[in-house]
Amino acid sequence: MNQTLVIAWREITRLRKRFGGGASPVAVILLLGVLGLSAYFLRDTVSLGSGLYRVGVSGNVPEISDSRFAVLEVSPEEGRSLLAEKSIDVLIVGADVFSREDDKSQFAERALKQYMEKEELVRVGNSFAEGDAFPLRVGVNYLNAAQPPVTDEAGELAPQTVKPEEVIIPSLTPPPAPFTQVLVAMMYIMPITFISIFFTSSFMDEKANRRLTILLSAPVTPFQIILGKMLPYAVFALSTTVLIAYLTKANIPLALMIFAPTTMFIFAIYLMVPLFYRTFKDTTFIAMLVTTMTTAYLVFPAMFTNSSDLAYISPLTLAVKMYRAEPFGWREYLLPSLPMTAIFGFAMFAGTRLLNEEFLMGYKPITRKIGDAIYLMMAHSKPWFAVTLWSLLVIPAVYMAQVVMLAFATNLPVGLILGATLLASALIEEVVKTVGIVVLAEHGVVKSVREILWLSFLSALGFLIGEKLLLLVSVSVVSQANVSGALFGAGVFLLIPLVAHFFFTALVTLLRAKLKFPYWLALGIGTVIHFFYNVYVLRGGA
Amino acid sequence: MIFPFFAVVKKELGSVLRDRTIIISILIQLFIASFSSGLLLGMLSLYDADTIMRFSGAGIRIGVVGDASAPLASLLAERGLNIQTFSTLTEAQSAFYNGEVLALVDAPQDADGLVEVKLYLPDSDTVSSLIRMVIQEPLKQYENVLRAERGIEVRYTDLNGKTATSFEFVYSVLIPMLMFFPAFVAGSMSIDMITEEVENKTLQTLLSAPLTISGMIGAKIASAVLLAIVQCVAWLTLLELNGIDIQNEAWILLLALVVAGITSTSAALGAAFLQDRERSQFIYSLLLLAGVGISTLLNISPITTLSRLAVGDAFTSGWHVMVFVAVFVGLFFVLLRTSRRLMI
Repeated sequence: MNQTLVIAWREITRLRKRFGGGASPVAVILLLGVLGLSAYFLRDTVSLGSGLYRVGVSGNVPEISDSRFAVLEVSPEEGRSLLAEKSIDVLIVGADVFSREDDKSQFAERALKQYMEKEELVRVGNSFAEGDAFPLRVGVNYLNAAQPPVTDEAGELAPQTVKPEEVIIPSLTPPPAPFTQVLVAMMYIMPITFISIFFTSSFMDEKANRRLTILLSAPVTPFQIILGKMLPYAVFALSTTVLIAYLTKANIPLALMIFAPTTMFIFAIYLMVPLFYRTFKDTTFIAMLVTTMTTAYLVFPAMFTNSSDLAYISPLTLAVKMYRAEPFGWREYLLPSLPMTAIFGFAMFAGTRLLNEEFLMGYKPITRKIGDAIYLMMAHSKPWFAVTLWSLLVIPAVYMAQVVMLAFATNLPVGLILGATLLASALIEEVVKTVGIVVLAEHGVVKSVREILWLSFLSALGFLIGEKLLLLVSVSVVSQANVSGALFGAGVFLLIPLVAHFFFTALVTLLRAKLKFPYWLALGIGTVIHFFYNVYVLRGGA
Repeated sequence: MIFPFFAVVKKELGSVLRDRTIIISILIQLFIASFSSGLLLGMLSLYDADTIMRFSGAGIRIGVVGDASAPLASLLAERGLNIQTFSTLTEAQSAFYNGEVLALVDAPQDADGLVEVKLYLPDSDTVSSLIRMVIQEPLKQYENVLRAERGIEVRYTDLNGKTATSFEFVYSVLIPMLMFFPAFVAGSMSIDMITEEVENKTLQTLLSAPLTISGMIGAKIASAVLLAIVQCVAWLTLLELNGIDIQNEAWILLLALVVAGITSTSAALGAAFLQDRERSQFIYSLLLLAGVGISTLLNISPITTLSRLAVGDAFTSGWHVMVFVAVFVGLFFVLLRTSRRLMI
């Protein structure tokens, strides 16, 4: 522990030196300026489409301060002429609005309607008594269809509401959508990402200056080095969580509980960047890729809070619930948090195995480098143990990758979404089940057909145990179980999925190791057969 | 002089293609585009009343207590909702518990000068959210009816039009993102290319070739910008193939090129001053954010210009692009004057 703290303290000193002097004030001023500007623009941000519509106005028209509209003062005749020649999209003459039939003019009219509605509400609210300006109250009650009404004292049927009545004014209360809370929750992620980029840079700095080699020759373990370098940044990241929770008046311990696994997850991902990079450009691209993927993974599901149980796969959904003061249970908490924590554990294990000079300094194609990394992770154990454990431990990563693929697939025509997701899922599963065996075979650790078949069985078994454990958590929370069932092979009998997994794994590994098929071709064949199996399961065949 | 310049460009492009890192950049952009479209599709199907009505409006059965010709019931029916009227709340509740209707609207009642309506929704987050989305507009219209009864006129209530979310997303988010993301990446690449030479101590070796420091930096910027523009051409082609109508393509490409030049030159300036990747990338990221903010504040945002060019705005032309050309030229001039710092 002492060694870890020494490395952590050295890391703080390094950072202080690097950002001390001339660059430091510039950075601070810039940061403050950016924050100020961002806050200013967030305040004024109405919607998408800045400057997209041209509106001609004439006469007594409310001021249009929506950034979507570029306003042009015109006379009525000039306005009509500009509208006809499509120079403006909408013309407002006093209380009358003129548009064309084409799409752009119609879009502009709808955007204008949204804006004018708000402006008119302000005008009416300011000009009349509240009871006249807002004369309608709607009491919203929620009923449980499975809980029939009871007869009250007067003999009338009284509905059993499950929540207290919520009274709203329709024009002032938009239907509940989680956008604002998701934006607030995103505020937690941004500093964590920024800080973890510094963590990555620190490793790169050590690597480029060959100081890491010296550190590795000292009497400290790779685990202590990684933990020591990570510690100050993790503390900074968690401090920002506390600060944001405090500023937004959220529950600080709950915010820490929600965002601690997320912080660990982001650090785990960024730990991989310095381990795998070969040139500086690699770092930029890999860092951008993981930032984008992570953001998508976190934001996409949270947008569907309270609309779909699948939203619980993102911790931001829990944050949205926290800001809405809505309760959630341990199962909902564990669904996003467990996979993230597991990925952190896996990344730390990988980091300790890969932190050696030969791996760090070698320049090879990225696929070769990944192969070497997997071999290094497995080489210290017996193949049967390493393969089983690998298949078991990569389940959270598979699960997250499949969710990201689902986000990808939603870009396709509706009829293709499920098919594409199933195909991508099959591919990901086949990669993780077979890659360890293939790498061991390429390094000559595994040779005979019998060994390959035995390891294929163990890989299938490890994967099955992992996915069933995950399913145990997810099905209890996610009611869209038929989709997750297809993705994770939720067959009634465990034997059928086990045989199926074994068959696909053995097929791919034998094609590659014994028949010398290119790995991509062997994978392709295994994936297609796996895909048809998934379709069969989804149709209730197993 | 010109041959060493192209040799450096070729070396940088060759390195990017050999490392296949450019594939990651393209993957990122594809992912962002897919993710954004997916998000928009999902959000529209859950949070846009028109989209909900188009796909599942007929299935939303609402029980209304009271007269079918009453204003609120009429407005609900006009919205396209499947309305069933009941004379009492008890009857309506029976229909709810039998699954004949999904939600109930109790007849409006006067209370202390206000009108009260009771809405009963199912305890399912998804269904109740959808119903609240589609019922919002008729309730607001009913509010206007009540205001009119009190002698209050609300203007602009007859506006209609088509849902603009997809249109606004494509022209103000998707196209600018696809055109400018390569430019942002080009800036990062410029820093990587320059600081890598400094930190690996290969800069002096490179300068032993018949090439000035400005020529070397210029070549690195040129290769980054070239890569950006190739990606932009590919994205424009793909967008057109997807049936998205984009006007002023030549000006858009020039704007993308100029913005890539601005980001790369600014990034190179940072690298020339700071001479290490960590601080240069940090300052570049902040500068980028500040640049977006300031340009929006000054109403000369390249994002707005690009959106307007893409929709064929009558008042936006190539002259607006020239403003950014001037900024690029100015920045490049400053870089030429300061690039010798790298040799210190």
